[in-house]
Amino acid sequence: MFKRKYLVFLLLLTFVLAACQADPEQVEVIVTRVVEQIEEMEVTRVVEQTVTEEVEVEVTRVVEVEAPVEVAGRCAPTDPGEVEEILIGASAPLSKPGSVTGGLVMQAAFAIAVDDVNEAGGVLGLPVNMVLYDTEGLPERGTAVAERLITQDCVVAIVGEYHSAVGLTMKEVSNKYHVPTIFAETYNNDITGVQYPEVFRIAPTSAFTAQMDAKWLQEVGDYNGDGEQTIVIVAENTGYGTGQVDNALTWFPEFGLGEPEVFLTEQTTQDFSSVAQRITALSNVPDAILIKVTGEQSYNVQQQLYEGGVDPAQSIMVANQVALNDEEYWENVPDGAYAVVPRIGPWASSASETGLAFAEKYRAIMGRFPEAYAFEAYDSLTLMADAINRAGSLDPDAIIAALEATDLEGAAGRYYFPYGIDNPPQDSGEAEWMWHQWPEVPLLFLQYTASGQSSDDIEVIWPETYRTSEGAVVRPE
Amino acid sequence: MDSIIFEACLNNFHYLLGLILNGLIVGAIYALMAIGLTVIFSVLGIVSFAHGEFYMIGGFVTYFLLENLIDIDIYIPVIGTIATIAMPWYVAILLSGVVTFFLGSIFEQTFLRPMFSGKVERPGEYAILVTFGLAFFLQYLTLAIIGPFPVKADRFVSFDIPKILGQITIASNRIIAASVAVIAIGSTLYYLQRTWTGRALRAVSQDKDAAAVTGINPQRMNRFAFGLGCMLAGMAGATLVQVFSWVFDVGVVASAKSFVIIVLGGMGSVPGALFGGLIIGVVEALGTGCFPDPSRSLAYRDAFGLIIFALILLFRPQGFFGRKL
Repeated sequence: MFKRKYLVFLLLLTFVLAACQADPEQVEVIVTRVVEQIEEMEVTRVVEQTVTEEVEVEVTRVVEVEAPVEVAGRCAPTDPGEVEEILIGASAPLSKPGSVTGGLVMQAAFAIAVDDVNEAGGVLGLPVNMVLYDTEGLPERGTAVAERLITQDCVVAIVGEYHSAVGLTMKEVSNKYHVPTIFAETYNNDITGVQYPEVFRIAPTSAFTAQMDAKWLQEVGDYNGDGEQTIVIVAENTGYGTGQVDNALTWFPEFGLGEPEVFLTEQTTQDFSSVAQRITALSNVPDAILIKVTGEQSYNVQQQLYEGGVDPAQSIMVANQVALNDEEYWENVPDGAYAVVPRIGPWASSASETGLAFAEKYRAIMGRFPEAYAFEAYDSLTLMADAINRAGSLDPDAIIAALEATDLEGAAGRYYFPYGIDNPPQDSGEAEWMWHQWPEVPLLFLQYTASGQSSDDIEVIWPETYRTSEGAVVRPE
Repeated sequence: MDSIIFEACLNNFHYLLGLILNGLIVGAIYALMAIGLTVIFSVLGIVSFAHGEFYMIGGFVTYFLLENLIDIDIYIPVIGTIATIAMPWYVAILLSGVVTFFLGSIFEQTFLRPMFSGKVERPGEYAILVTFGLAFFLQYLTLAIIGPFPVKADRFVSFDIPKILGQITIASNRIIAASVAVIAIGSTLYYLQRTWTGRALRAVSQDKDAAAVTGINPQRMNRFAFGLGCMLAGMAGATLVQVFSWVFDVGVVASAKSFVIIVLGGMGSVPGALFGGLIIGVVEALGTGCFPDPSRSLAYRDAFGLIIFALILLFRPQGFFGRKL
């Protein structure tokens, strides 16, 4: 009886203490701003040789409120002297319904990046360590993972993520806690379009890929010679798929292409025979069918469209980039000759020395040339490590400033972010999503020209600079 | 005003017929899965949430048998020569059935038997939890052993895709899969109706105590029924590993479909599962093929089946062939 009363008293006491606690988020925001202002004032007053008493009083106030901030929200220290290792958070889908294939690839690439950074002396003289969590491709898990990384694991920055839908929620948490974040493989325009100071991206945007698709299709023209250029898009009903569709609907007409016929699919769908029938029943035979579905689902779509009567001689099939895993591709899509595969990131023939060094290490683990998201995962971590080194501190503002000033040769190319806090993209007439966006994401269109062909022998059909084929597309004989 | 049905469904007979044929083919495979689940439910009185994982295992077993047992050298002592043979696909399907049968039987013996011998306080909840646990265990064990990358078996039989009535295209691998499903369903029905063990299973499903009085061992029948159910799921997977890309969680959706089908057909009814499977297959195909907005038609695929499911439950809660309480 006594024990029960004691427990009830303790419970009530806990509630009262919890109710009396100040709102952590508000304190955090106010303090950050005050510190910045006072530092500026101090310098100005000293130079002007005016009264210094006021300054001293205000500095004392800062010291008083600094302690609860770390408890309340983000717990990473800003002074490297307080840590034994630099902890960077990472996220990737490692279980369903996310793309497990993509997640495992990114996990391997992160591990190589950590090893490379540590072999090169670490960051600020300290070893780098990574905390990787599984987001399952679910937006709500993205929020939970980012919260945990920032408030429990005390990471100084976050890198990675594969799914746009997850990136869209994670960016809110990064912004809330003012944590520098580089998104690796999330295409949705809004991720950088909202222009949060903390958020950077090295993947292409949906708008960018839609423009590339449109430019290539414009060059291909009326493939089947029926007098009209008809384009079909089969897209997954996710942040990635709908983003791709929205941008195609926006950009295709800008390049003189008609509005595409769109089929949305759920991630769990396996049987696409009805879509194949609908496509073959269209009044115009499609000139191109763009598959904007990720992972192994793209194989199901592609093969079932062929089996349902889509003829590569009449319609070009544009596969997902996973098709470059040739052994897996030919096993799953045995009819997939003459498919076109967009490749984000460098290809074996165009990779830099850094890229090839990474590719060699990656091949030793995964047994193949790195996928685009492997390059992106590797580069997101090395870019963040480089920025922290240059910042000389773990202070988020210093890291963000260093990231904005990035000029680094990474595995996938030379990285820089031309638009940011002092130079917003809209001031230069650029789209809002160019904020903290790497502008030179390499994109190639490749084409299998024979059944069972190795991806090492694949033709580069676009852009013209890298072209190994005779035209913008190779037709079946 | 826009049509509420895709025009081809109204004015193109071949298009409509193609949808129905594809629906029947997919429905036959759904039915094979669902019959396995309904056998388990009718005899053991539990719903196995690991049913889809036996479907997944059946597919992987067939894939590895066909991929790895090509051109096997076998020494024949009588004639003193070495013969090179390849694993025939139908043998691989049967072996998948055997493997999943034994896995299911072992699981029943180890984890479900205590339920029927009074060692578990709340058997209903226990069955749900233990089969759920098995489902996750099998999924992630497969992920750990095989990895996340999709595999697919070569077509069992390669022949030119036939064009029915000159216009309708049906893939050869689907025709083979549906044919195997029909044979497996027919054999199961025959077995349940015409053999002593089949009759014993049906007797246990009706009244365990009465069956025991006649000399049937209900516990042995439980084990056999669970194994048989898993075997049918495994064989469904074995036929489809040449149609779909196969990954560790491929059974999740198939399993969910089976639940819908057995409720639609009537819990515990084998003909109900067959009929329910075909209905769901055709409704999904017609819904996807005839919905006017192409951008949404495939996304609503599962919803079309669920609409029929809800309507049947509303007007006939016991399902098509279920017994009224």
